[in-house]
Amino acid sequence: MQLNKMAWRTLARNKRRSLITSFSVAFGILLAVTFTGSGDYSYTSMIDTSAVMGFGHVSVEAAGYNDRPGLARRLTEAGGVRKTALGLPRVAGAYVRIMGQAMFATGAKSVGGVFMAVDPQLEKPLHNFFLRSIVEGRLFDDTNGRGAVVGAGMAVKLNLRLGKKVIVTVTDKNGQLTSELTRVCGIFKTGDDSVDSGMVLLPLGRMRQVLNYGPDDATLVAVYVNDLRQVKRVRTLLAAKLDHKANLEVLPWQETQPDLAGLIAVDRLFNYLLQFLVGLVIAAGILNTMLMSVLERTREFGIMMAVGMTPRQVVGLVLIESFWLGVLGLLLGVILTTPWFIYMSRVGIDLSRHIGQDYSAGGVLVDPVMKLRLYRESALVILLSAFGLTMAAGVYPAIRAGRTMPVESLKET
Amino acid sequence: MQLLHLALKNVLRSRHRTWVTIAAMAFAGCIMIFYASLLQGWLRSMERNAVDMETGELQIHAPGFRQDPDLYNVIVDAKSVIKQASAAGFICAGRLLGSGLAAADENSTGVSIRGIDPAADDLVTRLHDHVQAGRWLSQKENNGVVIGSKLATILAVRPGSELVLVGQAADGSMANDLYTVRGVLKSVSQEVDRGGLFMTAAAFRAFFVLPAGVHEIVLRRTLRSEPLTVATARLRALFPDLEVKNWRQLQPTLARLLDLSNVSLIILLLITYAAVGMLTLNAMLMGVFERIPEFGVMKALGFSGSRLFGLIVLETVAQVAIGATLALVTGVPLSLYFSVHPLDFSFLLRGSSTIAGIAFEPQWYCEVTRYSVILPVLFLFGAALTAIIYPAVKAAMIRPVAAIHHR
Amino acid sequence: MKRLAFLFFFLVLTGLVAEPLFAQTSDSDRARAILQKIDDLWRSTSSVAKLKMVVKTEHYTRTLVLDSWTKGKEKSLVRIVSPLKEAGTVSLKNGNAMYTYLPKTDRVIRLTSGMMMGSWMGSHFTNDDLVKESRLADDYNPEITYEGRRDGRKIIRLTLLPKPDAPVVWGKIVTTVRAEDYLPLVSLYYNEDMVLARTLTFSDIREMGGRKLPVVLRMVPADKPGEYTELTYESIRFGVPLRDSRFSLLQLRRR
Repeated sequence: MQLNKMAWRTLARNKRRSLITSFSVAFGILLAVTFTGSGDYSYTSMIDTSAVMGFGHVSVEAAGYNDRPGLARRLTEAGGVRKTALGLPRVAGAYVRIMGQAMFATGAKSVGGVFMAVDPQLEKPLHNFFLRSIVEGRLFDDTNGRGAVVGAGMAVKLNLRLGKKVIVTVTDKNGQLTSELTRVCGIFKTGDDSVDSGMVLLPLGRMRQVLNYGPDDATLVAVYVNDLRQVKRVRTLLAAKLDHKANLEVLPWQETQPDLAGLIAVDRLFNYLLQFLVGLVIAAGILNTMLMSVLERTREFGIMMAVGMTPRQVVGLVLIESFWLGVLGLLLGVILTTPWFIYMSRVGIDLSRHIGQDYSAGGVLVDPVMKLRLYRESALVILLSAFGLTMAAGVYPAIRAGRTMPVESLKET
Repeated sequence: MQLLHLALKNVLRSRHRTWVTIAAMAFAGCIMIFYASLLQGWLRSMERNAVDMETGELQIHAPGFRQDPDLYNVIVDAKSVIKQASAAGFICAGRLLGSGLAAADENSTGVSIRGIDPAADDLVTRLHDHVQAGRWLSQKENNGVVIGSKLATILAVRPGSELVLVGQAADGSMANDLYTVRGVLKSVSQEVDRGGLFMTAAAFRAFFVLPAGVHEIVLRRTLRSEPLTVATARLRALFPDLEVKNWRQLQPTLARLLDLSNVSLIILLLITYAAVGMLTLNAMLMGVFERIPEFGVMKALGFSGSRLFGLIVLETVAQVAIGATLALVTGVPLSLYFSVHPLDFSFLLRGSSTIAGIAFEPQWYCEVTRYSVILPVLFLFGAALTAIIYPAVKAAMIRPVAAIHHR
Repeated sequence: MKRLAFLFFFLVLTGLVAEPLFAQTSDSDRARAILQKIDDLWRSTSSVAKLKMVVKTEHYTRTLVLDSWTKGKEKSLVRIVSPLKEAGTVSLKNGNAMYTYLPKTDRVIRLTSGMMMGSWMGSHFTNDDLVKESRLADDYNPEITYEGRRDGRKIIRLTLLPKPDAPVVWGKIVTTVRAEDYLPLVSLYYNEDMVLARTLTFSDIREMGGRKLPVVLRMVPADKPGEYTELTYESIRFGVPLRDSRFSLLQLRRR
């Protein structure tokens, strides 16, 4: 207790130094929040965007479909899978979809592309990027109808307008070629050229007939969660509930979008590496201050030890000083970071000036606004490591102080 | 002179705290050099993977070929074009482009077939050292083809497997032939991954019955220092009848992505510099403040305010100089080491991947450039000198008695 | 019912039923009958033919000699006889599946949806044209839009509008036939914006295989008026008994 008081006294005696040191801790927290926050924000938005392009956060597919997608591999009882998924906690939505390759033709031209057959009664814009991006017309409302929602790029290539016909040719589940007439009822524009010129939304019921599918067949059930951190849990739960049905796979987004997962893993690592380097620099700064403060108090420690303090107590004293510096740093950090974080999470820095309006990374649109988003776990890790770093920086100076030779130190100066 | 002498003496008198400050600065400088080199390497590799991998810095096509890739729309006098471009300081490689169907056992898919001259192409692009399995094309083996990574999955083939190519030849006949997969590429770009099939130019000509001309000439500047736009304009003037485009014009989305990436990396660099600046500021600030009693004594002994200020500045410069030297001595070799032995994160990635058309490799190399070395050092000086202005002025202005009791 | 109708038209086409029968039926029935006649002109329960195909494009002119076999509406097989380089190449259509056999590589390739718009053997016909060749009557509603004299000849002009749900790309097809025997003279294919896309002309009407039919078909794409694909029947026999196995995949290689 005595030591605590003494530590406080030292810190108070040199207010400026204490303030500067805790300020560097606070600054470190600010930096870490910025780094981690921009990562958390952009990863979340990339994952969400890629999920709403079709596969969901968790995807239930026929076994083998992920490695070799083909319309022959299909999920039976898709409706049941959807119901099961919706019954799980933390699941925000589940959708039965068919995704596959097709040929789209008009009298003008024909192009190859991908179709996504959806049930208009079930799909919600929240979980369907194309629905959100419709710029003309709207989604078909009859699942057995002949509506088609095409991308703006494809509309240009095939010379399509609302109401025009598009012939969809697919290889059905038996390998037979079948064609079906559809009419454009909506045009979407995501800003990603390859998606806009290669993707078409079609009615689920109609495509089931065309593909010779059963009334409850589909290629996948896309499941969306409330919170990305729940993906693993939802996947495990869902896999457990479905395991009596053979021949299906429950896959997290990391497996349906391996490129994105790879990018994020590497980028995150790079981010951590940078944070680590910055942390080292800040720790060096703290070490520097503590060491100076210790070196300059050699005489003081000498006296303390001469009057009966053990080296262990001296070490403790310096460590307690670091402890309080750390606490001070955290407080200052929170005060400093909160307004910045609030601004950055709501408004952000608009980089579009530098890069133009829309662009895509890996087929996934990225917001050109640098924003922050922090998960509670990340915030906790940052605070703990900032505190830990301060404590660690205090270790060497503390040991140094503990080694003071009472008599010699008094002789000095 | 006398002042400098005094300053050096003060520094070299080497009190503990001086050395601690110097060490802190040296460490910060070292980290900055390493960090800047790492970022330089990262940016360079992004650009290199985006550009040198397959696109090349510049491309020449016959007018209209890019809108409608017609087998017949060739650059007729390719040889003379290549000759002229080479004379103008470009490394060139001609390519042939066509499309067809590749089939292996039960699987088949559309492919874009590229006929290249490995000897020339290898000087312009880096596809040749981006092979994941098997080997790159060889001039001697005309029935060997190299294919994209996803294509290999779709067709379920490996190096050594056979595949059939079908297409429509220039004479209208059904071109078809049997080839052996010689190599499978790492991830290059979505297009190449899914449907890229490379063969030798000779094999391409035989398959498509196309005896002359090329569809595309890929070029690289020999002088990297020449701005891309200038090089483009120069080439355009040279070949007014052909379509000359640089990679930024060929892949605008990619160019924008790289720009964004540059902006955000610069922001990160600034943030790191800010942290280093804080550290230096902190150290110098304290160093000077702690010594204010000492300065008070000096003042009492007759040192003028301006001389005292000069002394503090000189001392700081001396300290930073030592710190910067130490930073250079540690940071440069460290960065150089990592420019040869990359940081390897391949355990995180399944093979290689492509993001927005940029092949993404899990190995990071440092790249030591003028900027990555000089800027951190200058920054160190700047930060330290900025840091001491206030305390130095204060020390210079202070009354001796107050200074001696200063806490 | 359908089978009966088919039989009926079969009889009509093979000339066993006298022409005046048409006169008694309504215009729309007549239009339908004409369409059926065109659809079945070169086929019967089965047919074996030898044809010459000349393809003229900006870049090449090629001449192929083809053997063809058809059975019913669903099965057809075409084999290249010459030039030697491509001899033995076979194109097989069975229902909605289409295959190509390539003797050079000894492979059978099944055409997927992505290849349907590709050229069939270097001609101006697409694979899709071949798959859908026999379905005019299924996919279109014919209507007689003109009847009278043109160039001193009595003709009937049919306008075929696609049935609302038919999976065809054309906006309409206008077919002109001779009034006396309903043999086709020319078909104009329009896209959905009613812009002419291709012209198919029929000429050199003569007796072949016991039928009177135009033996030369020439297709000219509207956007490349200098190009054409011309098919000339050198011989054709109808009603030849053919086994289903002739159209099986296994048989492809054994020719």
